Amino acid sequence: MNRAIPTPGIRRRSVTGLWLRHAVSFVRYWKFVITWVLIEPVIILVAVGFGVGKLIGSVEDGVSYAEFVTPGLIIGNAMFHALFETSWNAYNRIDNDVYETALTTPITVTEITMGDILWAVTRSILTVVGTAIVAAMFGWLNGWEAIGILIPAVMVGITFGALGFLFSAVAPHTTFLTLVFTLVASPMFFFSGSFFPISILPDWVEPIAWVMPLTSAVHIARGFALASFDMSHVWAAVYMIVFTAIIWPIAILLLRRRLIK
Amino acid sequence: MTNESQVKRDSVRNSNGSVIQAENIRKLYGDFAAVDGISFNVEPGETYGLLGPNGAGKTTTMRMLSGLSPVNSGDINVAGIDVVKDNRAVREVMGVVTQHDGLDNGLTVFQNLFLHGFLAGLSRKGSKNRAHEVLEFFGLRDRSKANVYELSGGMKRRLAIARSMMTSPTVIVMDEPSTGLDPQSRNRVWEELAVLKDAGVTVLLSTHYMEEATILCDRLSIMDHGKILDEGTPDQMIERHAPKEVAQLRVTPASLRTVREYLDERSITFREVGALVSVTGVNGDRPDLSGLESVEGVRTSYRAGNLEDVFLSITGRELRDE
Repeated sequence: MNRAIPTPGIRRRSVTGLWLRHAVSFVRYWKFVITWVLIEPVIILVAVGFGVGKLIGSVEDGVSYAEFVTPGLIIGNAMFHALFETSWNAYNRIDNDVYETALTTPITVTEITMGDILWAVTRSILTVVGTAIVAAMFGWLNGWEAIGILIPAVMVGITFGALGFLFSAVAPHTTFLTLVFTLVASPMFFFSGSFFPISILPDWVEPIAWVMPLTSAVHIARGFALASFDMSHVWAAVYMIVFTAIIWPIAILLLRRRLIK
Repeated sequence: MTNESQVKRDSVRNSNGSVIQAENIRKLYGDFAAVDGISFNVEPGETYGLLGPNGAGKTTTMRMLSGLSPVNSGDINVAGIDVVKDNRAVREVMGVVTQHDGLDNGLTVFQNLFLHGFLAGLSRKGSKNRAHEVLEFFGLRDRSKANVYELSGGMKRRLAIARSMMTSPTVIVMDEPSTGLDPQSRNRVWEELAVLKDAGVTVLLSTHYMEEATILCDRLSIMDHGKILDEGTPDQMIERHAPKEVAQLRVTPASLRTVREYLDERSITFREVGALVSVTGVNGDRPDLSGLESVEGVRTSYRAGNLEDVFLSITGRELRDE
């Protein structure tokens, strides 16, 4: 048995230092990154909101399809950002020895996940704020309650930031990472109630949809967007927290196994 | 490199006066012992080498010493820190140059240094100032804004070494500082390591280049199969294990058979490395090779014994066997 590596406390500089590294790298390539942070989600929003919205009219009483779909799309897009950061980007950082170099400073693997997830949250907030402002200009987000969407934005950053590590930490090559999108991101994006209320799914599919954490995030976001809440929103938040509390430690274990030999 | 860091440097010793102290350290991967109970000390200001072929356990040893890899058993002390108990503290005082440079391709040369210093605990301003100093020292100032992927192999290596100096460490470990570099870049790296040594930095390096070990190291260990076979200054090692003199015959393919037969008839042991036949004298006596002088295509020269011969004599294998 290897003697355990002690991780006494959390060193704040480890987290902020890694976050700053990501921010600097992000700003360097902002011309490219902006297309994904803002332009792509707006294209989808416009296509679905105006295009599909015109065919459908209203979903629930008084709620237009565009108003219904906006929080779902915004949050679904944030999920892609968080997942991509800690799966694809983190894999490249493993592969290019960026973490290996970081570990020559007084940083722990736990702090590496914290720094990266903090950056995933940052990306999630950036894209949610940008897209929400555009949606508000179209009149698809009304009322100050919509600012509350920042809460599920942060939650999505944490949950899916942690989830992405489950893939990057075990991936043998980048092709493996396509699984993140085919098995996780795409099914969630389309079946988490972003595009249609999951109540219209067959009865046996509905519980499966609720297992996917994005469903809870979309539900909470829609609560803020439409300013209507009940206990189900609290349970959705609890579910996301529990889900994250389970997978984050697993992510740390897997990443440690990969980096500390 | 400043007076301040000089003071810091003088104050950090283990209880036995050394800067690095490894005692009977072992590292197992399953049943395989990558490092099989080795012990050595590195004294303040010393440059100490681990010399051995690939797979000897050098990298694993360095990773354990720098707190990057837990040991299975044994004790490590670095600058008064018990590394087995506190692998975080050792990374505050030690500079590490990993084998593959580990540079961040998404950043510029300057950003690589600055962000590493910041992550290591320097203030933003402190890290910026230090990055400028280090760039100046390593002659990389005019490449400050370059992308890392634009640099030559030698520059990348020097940047990796520069990065390890961001925190003004008292002790640095370097995994194969010049592997893969052309001779010119290698000389440059050696020059810079000599300057660091002058500044009082304690250096532990691993290498499979005999020449590098001879030039840089005050003392060294010969490592093979996870064990240290012997330790000493390069001169001591040569004295102990290498012949005084080695005859080298450059042989054309056509004359190779004649040479083999000649040596075999006289029971002179030899080894062949490519087109080179090496003959080692017995008890320091020069073997009688006079009969080969007339053979066409054979050129004989003599060289002094070196660390390559030391390795061969201890392990029965060439250092460069892959």
